[in-house]
Amino acid sequence: MTAPDPSTVGPGHTGPSDGTGPAATPMVVEPPTHDRLDRLWADPPGLRGQLTGVQNDKIGKRLLLTGFFFLILGGSVDSVVMRLQLAVPNNDLIGPELYNELFTNHGSVTMFLVILPIFEGFAILLLPLVLGTREMPFPRLGAFSYWTFLLGGLLYYSATLFQLVPNAGWFAYTPLSGPDFSPDLALDFWVLGLGVAEVGAIAAGFEIIIGVLKMRAPGMTLARMPLFAWSVLVMAFMILFAFTPLIIGSLLLELDRGFGTQFFDPTQGGSSLLWQHLFWIFGHPEVYIQFVPATGVVSMILPVFTRQRIVGYQWLVAALVGIGFLSFGLWAHHMFAVGLPPMVLGFFAAASMAIAIPAGIQIFAWLATIWAGRALWRTPLLFVLGFLVIFVLGGITGVMVAAPPFDLQAHDSHFIVGHLHYVLIGGVAFPIFAGVYYWFPKFTGRMLSERLGRWNFWLLFIGVNITFFPMHIVGLMGMPRRIYTYDESTGWGPYNLISTGGVLVVVSGIAVFVWNVVRSARRGDPAGANPWGADTLEWAVPSPPSEHGWSVLPIVTSRHPLWDQDDLHSGDARLERFVQAIGRWPLRWRAAVVVGTADGRPQEVFRVADPSIWPLCTALGVVTIFVAELAKLRWGLAVGGVIVVGSAIAWNWPSPADMTEAEEAAFEREHGVAVNAGGSVVVATWGMGLAILFVSIAFASLLLSYFYLRLENPQWPPPGVTGPGLGGPALAALAALTAAVSVRVALHRVRTGHRAGFLAALATGALATGAAVAGQAAALLGSGISGTAHAYGSIFSTLSGFLLVVMTAAFTMVLLVLVWAARGLYDARRYAPVANVARFHTAMVAIWLIGFGTLYLGPVLT
Amino acid sequence: MARSAAALWWLMAALGGLVFVLVVALLVAGLRRGRAGPARVEPGGPETGSSRRWLVGGGVLLPSVVLVVVLGATVAAMRDVPVQAPDGALVVEVTGHQYWWEIRYPAEGAVVANELHLPVGRPVALRLRSADVIHSFWVPALGGKMDALPDGVNTLVLQADEAGEHTSECAEFCGVQHTNMSLLVVAEEPDAFRAWVAAQAAPAAPVNSTGAAGADVFARACSRCHAVRPATEAEPAERGPDLTHFASRRTIGAIAENEPEALRRWISDPHAMKTGVLMPAVELDPHELDAVVTYLAGLR
Repeated sequence: MTAPDPSTVGPGHTGPSDGTGPAATPMVVEPPTHDRLDRLWADPPGLRGQLTGVQNDKIGKRLLLTGFFFLILGGSVDSVVMRLQLAVPNNDLIGPELYNELFTNHGSVTMFLVILPIFEGFAILLLPLVLGTREMPFPRLGAFSYWTFLLGGLLYYSATLFQLVPNAGWFAYTPLSGPDFSPDLALDFWVLGLGVAEVGAIAAGFEIIIGVLKMRAPGMTLARMPLFAWSVLVMAFMILFAFTPLIIGSLLLELDRGFGTQFFDPTQGGSSLLWQHLFWIFGHPEVYIQFVPATGVVSMILPVFTRQRIVGYQWLVAALVGIGFLSFGLWAHHMFAVGLPPMVLGFFAAASMAIAIPAGIQIFAWLATIWAGRALWRTPLLFVLGFLVIFVLGGITGVMVAAPPFDLQAHDSHFIVGHLHYVLIGGVAFPIFAGVYYWFPKFTGRMLSERLGRWNFWLLFIGVNITFFPMHIVGLMGMPRRIYTYDESTGWGPYNLISTGGVLVVVSGIAVFVWNVVRSARRGDPAGANPWGADTLEWAVPSPPSEHGWSVLPIVTSRHPLWDQDDLHSGDARLERFVQAIGRWPLRWRAAVVVGTADGRPQEVFRVADPSIWPLCTALGVVTIFVAELAKLRWGLAVGGVIVVGSAIAWNWPSPADMTEAEEAAFEREHGVAVNAGGSVVVATWGMGLAILFVSIAFASLLLSYFYLRLENPQWPPPGVTGPGLGGPALAALAALTAAVSVRVALHRVRTGHRAGFLAALATGALATGAAVAGQAAALLGSGISGTAHAYGSIFSTLSGFLLVVMTAAFTMVLLVLVWAARGLYDARRYAPVANVARFHTAMVAIWLIGFGTLYLGPVLT
Repeated sequence: MARSAAALWWLMAALGGLVFVLVVALLVAGLRRGRAGPARVEPGGPETGSSRRWLVGGGVLLPSVVLVVVLGATVAAMRDVPVQAPDGALVVEVTGHQYWWEIRYPAEGAVVANELHLPVGRPVALRLRSADVIHSFWVPALGGKMDALPDGVNTLVLQADEAGEHTSECAEFCGVQHTNMSLLVVAEEPDAFRAWVAAQAAPAAPVNSTGAAGADVFARACSRCHAVRPATEAEPAERGPDLTHFASRRTIGAIAENEPEALRRWISDPHAMKTGVLMPAVELDPHELDAVVTYLAGLR
């Protein structure tokens, strides 16, 4: 390639010199089928469409808007009232009860209901366009994720209506949050409302992982994938590994609160620190779950506004993955004051500091990009630069608090409040604003006002520093966190007054932002397809994009396709034919393409799920379970369970494809890519893999709790309790093993076309699974171990109960597959559900045997 | 050891300041530098050799060097903190309650609330635990912080090198009145400390004629939670602060100055002064209230 003459305005080489002219980057070419595809992919009109809709645009926008709504409610209003209370010493604007409720709400809402849905919203909205594909892999799961998030947030906030606002902090330390010290229902609203939202977060995580790994444009290898996709991929894996232990911790807390178990009561064999471990195994990665996608946004925007390719792409990918791993090894730095041994302190100090290395690589990759390029001064760049300055300060204080001798001074003081807001506002909120300014034109067709954008930025940048910098000083002077007032003699007054003044500046900045969005959505300048002269695929489609995004899929040959490629539909001749064919066929169902994880070669054309009411029903079932627990209506738990299982079955019920096998085979012959009009095999397999991973993480969290409690108790089982009998559970384990083997045999037979033998083996598998469920249930009920007398019985019952739930899920799956098999749905060509059931059974047996060994053999052997 | 933490802080503040200045300088220089160039995207991307210098030098070497220094200083500072009580240390049992501190000197036999006296120049081993939820003990001026857990005892070793008074606030959110769970820490010369602890360990002042009526009211209305040694012999059923030498204390409920009018208001309606405090309002007629206030004021 030769250097282009800067005077020519040729495709791929020149952005708008000033952002004024239209970008001369390649655009999609629309085939005549465009309108038909657009109608095919549109959700139904009216209210029905609102309730059944699954379009990723719709889900993503909803997540974003709802997240911003909660940000204004819980992020801004709460903080203004708190800051006004702290403005002067001995203030009596609000009392301690309201103050405690406000800081609990502020932390909980921003950590659970704001940043996470905003980034999941960005991901679901943007990924199909950025990756050059038509949809996310599980549109219905996306809808479910949104409904659970919305309903969970509303359930959590409904506590206000009952005057039962949670007040134990966003960390809800036991025993303060336990039944003895928080006897009313306020903490149940916290556990259960946020619990629903956590389910939604994990669901969206599944969607994002598979979307990034399997649904990209032909030719988009992993090495050509935009950094935003890498970052949300890492984020989604982290969500899976972090939120699952939190859900288990919340379950144990709710069992203590609602069912009288003793997990966190030290007088009955429990441990108050077990909660802290489970909470911070989630809580620390949570910070990086928010930070990692923010860096992805920065890495997308910076190259566009410096007119330079990002420096150190591979380094940035490695840094993202490194942060993902490291962030799980440093949770105990939130627990430096609980009395851990010095060796442990040293380990966690070193691990906490080590994360500065991947963060340093990111910072210097961005600095190098700025050095290599030329700044285009627009609002998104301002926010990125503000991010760099504020985040670096937050990172530096982060290294400081990783040093235990200093942290023991700073811990739970206002120094930490200053530090964490530098990290979360500088490191996360600024990139969110940058992202909104950057992508708003794509989805509305209109530009946000630059003039208001500058006001927005400077008010926020100045306001944030005025608010949070003095907190470092006043913290070092000894001002603790979470106090509603202080005495004049402390000398903290002036600093607090400055902070309060600063927050008013921040709020005016947010007001300018809201006004800019509202005004520009209607009256902003028209945007055009690529107003910034950007390099990634989403800027090749019109603004706003059509319902299906891509009629003809792009063929990617570069990491910066719009800068480097002259057009988006040429490349390998076979690929060209393939993408053109997919633009014209099939037109009766929503077709999307699965590609190879690493190489981006098309693997499968499959039918994406269409609109459905069942995700909403499933979400309502989940909420029913949680509301029933809140209202102490135990029969409601069963009702909710039935709704969830029934709706989930209806949601996944196979619907006949509008296509014959001959048509599928013809396409496959011509293009060498499998067609599955009945639903994807690849995507479903990955979904099952992630489901197994989720169950395994939950199981590992319970095992961790078991062994933690065991180590805390000198005698196990405790004096006066006899361990469980071995007989029944051993038989159940044997039945489970038989079940797994039978289902494997069934899978082998269906593959080899042995239909009668297939049905017999599947039926045997179902019977054996049922026998295992019944046997284990009988063993649990007959063990005579009380779940409420001692923590031993509590964890024994919960772990066995978990095994039962996993086995019941396996039983339900094998029964469904048996029903479908009897109807003749499977043959040697189509048997994906059978293979998935076999996978789940294998995982189930592994879990079962480890659980059996822990619960029944462990006490005998030791 | 507060000194070694302070030294660590100044080291980190200096290094952190340098790193920040460096990053901002590079940022500003980078932004100014590009102004002259044409607005076009170079083919092939930035030069790889220079990229590697940025990433290896700034991204890996710079933080690594800083971290090695900081980690070394951290480990050195941690070695300064004794984990176990040295020989000759004064042992004090500190128990957190919602929302007050119980201080016991087991060897000396003294029990106090919301006041901790320390002899200057002698290590003190605080044996921390909680009677209810998690609290955290922190005297900013003396350094160090340790949680008081319901699960078991944590030990924090402190030493005051100069006489003086410090305030300490509970550092782990513990409920409604977390804010006013304060502790007065008095570091005093060994002789003064010995005299103070001996006085606190002594039995209560004998009840004289003016206090007799109040002692009866106390036995009836207050002794379920509060002890005055040795008048109430059994341990109180519910643990409120020991009041044997109440009149010698600086504050009531760690929130009001200890003087009769405040005490009167506190007994009649403690919630008006400290919302959420666990002490119930005590219903007494004015004579009884006068009598019990007089009695308590005599408990020097």
